[in-house]
Amino acid sequence: MSAPCGAGNRIVTTGYVGTWADLPAWPDLPAAAAVLAEDNTDAVRAVWQHVMDGDRETLISTARRVDATQAEGFRSAGLAVAQGDRVEAPSTEHAVDAGRLWLLTSGSTGRPKQVAHTLDSLTTVSGEQPSRTWLCPYATGAYAWWQVVSLSLALPGQDIVFIEPDQIDSWPQLAMEHGVTAASGTPTFWRQAMWRSGATVAQLPLEQITLGGEPVDQGILDRLREVFPAARISWIYASSEAGAAIAVHDGRAGFPRAWLDRETPERPTLRVEGDELVIASPHAAEGMPSLIHTGDRVELSDDRVAIVGRLASDEINVGGSKASGSSVRRRLLDHPDVVWAAVRGRKAPLVGQVVVADVVLAGDATVTTGDLTSWCAEQLPDYAVPRRVRVLPEIPIKESLKSDV
Amino acid sequence: MSGLSRDHVRTMMGEVLAAQGKQLPADDSTRLDGIGFRSLDFSELALRVEDELDTELNFDAPELRSVETVGDVLDFIDQLQPTA
Repeated sequence: MSAPCGAGNRIVTTGYVGTWADLPAWPDLPAAAAVLAEDNTDAVRAVWQHVMDGDRETLISTARRVDATQAEGFRSAGLAVAQGDRVEAPSTEHAVDAGRLWLLTSGSTGRPKQVAHTLDSLTTVSGEQPSRTWLCPYATGAYAWWQVVSLSLALPGQDIVFIEPDQIDSWPQLAMEHGVTAASGTPTFWRQAMWRSGATVAQLPLEQITLGGEPVDQGILDRLREVFPAARISWIYASSEAGAAIAVHDGRAGFPRAWLDRETPERPTLRVEGDELVIASPHAAEGMPSLIHTGDRVELSDDRVAIVGRLASDEINVGGSKASGSSVRRRLLDHPDVVWAAVRGRKAPLVGQVVVADVVLAGDATVTTGDLTSWCAEQLPDYAVPRRVRVLPEIPIKESLKSDV
Repeated sequence: MSGLSRDHVRTMMGEVLAAQGKQLPADDSTRLDGIGFRSLDFSELALRVEDELDTELNFDAPELRSVETVGDVLDFIDQLQPTA
């Protein structure tokens, strides 16, 4: 198969610095394989082998995300399981589905599920793009990881510096060393970076900043704009099931309400049913219904649609009154001393649940938890005021770059 | 596991009210409706006790019918706590 346009792009992992085209081949990799990668070096080799052979069926995930039961499931679905030099043969016969790429969902509502893509369905950016060196901190094999990888494969001038989970605290230095000019991460990733290494991050010559994977609030967009006044700041709504469905570049949280119910060929159609975001997308995984109920809750204002959180967890029933976790979180984040907040319902006698919050404070903060409770009480109804506020020493971040604590 | 003293629970009850700018009177016979101590406050107090004891308290609204004063709250929490 002919090499893709991005074959000459440079990629950097902990074990490799060079172009896609110069990656060591992995000829022994079975034609239909689940690659449980130890790191990004394993993963990019598997990607390149898949791309160049053209007739492979591949699933790439970090080894840490896949337990023995799930690995057995891959084998019984006809995939060999490759981890390092060890290859376990599939337990059932399987005709290779040529070009198939399997992704695992985030698994936030249970064990990760397999969703079916191809390199084409994962490639959502086309046309001429400015040359960039991208930072890719996403979990290996996740949809967002594939977005950066597919961009680099499809277009010349799109280099990538991959970050391993144990480098998450030192990425600003690595980005500096390797000349990163574009970076994509969750709001939690950016919050943590600004909080822990703000001075170093501010020195990076970032021309493109992308956020996704979690609800994007105005506070983090404004903070990034303050530090990087000349950068293009974008937020993307994407999932392995729905694909990349929304891209917003105007520096505001949410997307224009005028985009709802607009039908444009080759573009996703966005709808709101009840207070749920519903998407029909040409980038969706195969086998998805034509309308995907995302499970994400939206709030409508005059000209904007804000995606505020998961339907299943955002509503907190306090003795029959419905508190919105995202509204409480927004109020906490509005406090100048709060750099991160998470809000949830906690089981409580008598009223069923009460609202509780975890926060991380700015280094020089003098605010007390009582002050934060009062701050919330100024604007929120009584039942929505957090009854317990816990101050965490640092921003919790998972390998998914999310902080769903 | 040892339980919390009545004084300790009283202090926590005072903290629940103080967070709303209210004060807990010294007199245990003070009626709850007079100081604005409501069911949500009772839940918060229970959570504070749970966090201190590292155990879950279970009770429901009907059990609270006879709880009318500050002293009733302290008695009620006392009888909910593990004894050994």
